[in-house]
Amino acid sequence: MMNELKQKLLSDFNDIEVNIPEDNRMIVSTKKESVLSILIYLKKLGYNHLALVSCNDWIDDNEFELIYIISAYQKNDEQYQDIEKSSIIVKTRISREKAKFITIIDIFENAEPYEREIHEMFGINFEGHPRLTPLMLERNYKIPPFRKDFDTNKYVENTFGKIPSIKERKEGNK
Amino acid sequence: MDRNKICKWLKNPGKMAHKYSFHVVYFCTGCGIIEIPPFITARWDAERFGIIPVATPRQASLFLITGYVSTKTLKAIIRTYEQMPEPKYTVALGSCPINGGMYYDSYNTITSLDKYIPVDGYIAGCMPRPEAIFIGVTHLWKLIDMDKADGYQRYREDYVHYRANQEQLYGKMDWPPLFSEENI
Amino acid sequence: MRELELYFGPQHLGMVGNFSITLKVEGDRIIKASANPGYLHRGFEKLMELRTWIQNFPLVCRINVVEPDHMELIYSMGVEKLAGIEVPEKGKYIRSIYCEMARVASHLFGAWAYANMLGFDTVANWAMYHRDLLLDMFEELTGARVYHIYIRPGGVRRDFPDGFTDRLVKTLHKIGGKVPDYNATFFENRLFKERAEGIGVVTREEAIRMGAVGHTIKATGMKYDIRKIEPYAAYDRVDFNIPTRTGGDAYSRLLAIRDDMIESVHMIFKLIDKMPTNGEVYTKTPNPFKWKIPAGEAYVRCESSRGELGLYMVSNGGDKPYRVQFNTPSYNHGLTVLEKALEGESISDVGNIMISLYIVAPEIDR
Repeated sequence: MMNELKQKLLSDFNDIEVNIPEDNRMIVSTKKESVLSILIYLKKLGYNHLALVSCNDWIDDNEFELIYIISAYQKNDEQYQDIEKSSIIVKTRISREKAKFITIIDIFENAEPYEREIHEMFGINFEGHPRLTPLMLERNYKIPPFRKDFDTNKYVENTFGKIPSIKERKEGNK
Repeated sequence: MDRNKICKWLKNPGKMAHKYSFHVVYFCTGCGIIEIPPFITARWDAERFGIIPVATPRQASLFLITGYVSTKTLKAIIRTYEQMPEPKYTVALGSCPINGGMYYDSYNTITSLDKYIPVDGYIAGCMPRPEAIFIGVTHLWKLIDMDKADGYQRYREDYVHYRANQEQLYGKMDWPPLFSEENI
Repeated sequence: MRELELYFGPQHLGMVGNFSITLKVEGDRIIKASANPGYLHRGFEKLMELRTWIQNFPLVCRINVVEPDHMELIYSMGVEKLAGIEVPEKGKYIRSIYCEMARVASHLFGAWAYANMLGFDTVANWAMYHRDLLLDMFEELTGARVYHIYIRPGGVRRDFPDGFTDRLVKTLHKIGGKVPDYNATFFENRLFKERAEGIGVVTREEAIRMGAVGHTIKATGMKYDIRKIEPYAAYDRVDFNIPTRTGGDAYSRLLAIRDDMIESVHMIFKLIDKMPTNGEVYTKTPNPFKWKIPAGEAYVRCESSRGELGLYMVSNGGDKPYRVQFNTPSYNHGLTVLEKALEGESISDVGNIMISLYIVAPEIDR
């Protein structure tokens, strides 16, 4: 079943690469302009559950990589079909300075909190998103925390380590 | 019952009332909340020690901080602690409030709780068993007898330094200082 | 009437866990709700990039405090898929029995939370006592009550002690014998039905659109369960049912949870009968200080007691992970479904709906 899907995708879209690493997984790498049309095409074939939106930071290539993982809900209540075992991973690369992309809320409605979290942790701007306010963090960071050039030990030393204890403050004042 | 014990209780009935009736604030701060429901239900009954959970901090006298503290939770903890009436006691569970614990290099958790609110004692374990929390409570009774559980008095006297530590972490705070120069 | 903005904040008697909701109310009806997570955020995915593959196990336990066993299982499955390790036969059966015990304990914790929030202390005390009996079994097997680090890549840490399965069967009979009392006082009581019927309705089209999994979608009639769709461990060697209900409100979700718990207890008996008596329980892995895993990426999924749990893992050939991301079931339920289900309800039902959607706060923040 995966091989037929691979032939269909290769004939309908140009400029994409399709791998099948094992029985139930398929990896589709594409350019950033055709991500939306591939997702709409796969949703019409029955893959209507967005499982994950993730991001990789390849600092050596100076690029971010956005990852969308989709799978299928059940159509028939009584028996399980082959399409429900499989998951498809759609990947694309964007540049690391002035990183921005377009939102997919119009296709999958539950992508909203995933994109908010990627915006505050990696610094990628999603155009068309209704509310891009911080989800979990409450202070501002100079470099977004999940990038590879954010040093956690130095940050802890500068912020929490420099606050003196109460005894030291009392002796320092006197 | 022998004569020395009766005289010790009658000499100081205020301390006896403080010790044997802790009311715990119902606030689940961290990981350690998984051992608090066994602590207050029927198998390891905490009510035989006088401990029951209450709904608001205005009626409470013991604050259990169960595990690690993130910067967003610390604001809620300070507000809750300042609403409790005196005398009040604080007990921290685990090793994360002492020096950061397992999350020593995380950008969102604090490394030492004693710099922001006063802590009376720590209980070891990750997470402490219900029997360990009982032993910690009996140690707190001994500290109250010896007049050493004075966290709330330290907060009142050194309030300037506690507030300076909190402002160094957060910048400008949302609420005015609790104690001013006249009513310390 | 005037509009007010209230905080159903972290310190509240109807809230289990450290989570906060901002409500806009008019009188007693809610107009708009917005969730406010982040009180328990530790940055796990960044911390796991700084520790080696085996050193990550104590961290991965603490993502879901109520039920840490499925987190260990999903991380082990990810490492095994990247490194190409197989689990022996007896190890698969032991993993299944261990995960089903964790599922029963987690559902009993959910029953405590619901009964405590409604103010029904009798059933809350029963549920916590039965969960403590199961935690005694865990302590005999692994040495700790809550965070047992028992699953390792390649199998489990050690075999069952002598006579363990007989004691487990006796404990489960004691729990199962009390189920008619639970039904008469709590689940099928007329007072509880009037309190929970018709509240927090999530229809099937809304659930599919908003990405709901687990009991939220089993209460609308769909049998979506990873143990049947993509079987792992020993689930394809034993036959069991997936209980569903129709209705989509809080009462149907709670009855689906109760049926799932009873089905798990029966499944443990069947697995114990079929388990082989001799055999290895783990395959050997290289020296953990020098273990490098070849480059690649993997996506694995399993079924925890709250829904579908997924893990996306990337390795670049070193001795530490390059990128790890968990897809927890409470993420969608707490941030997208909750805001929809609370519109138009009254303030006194917020805790009711939140606990029936089975949200655990540390799973959202990680």
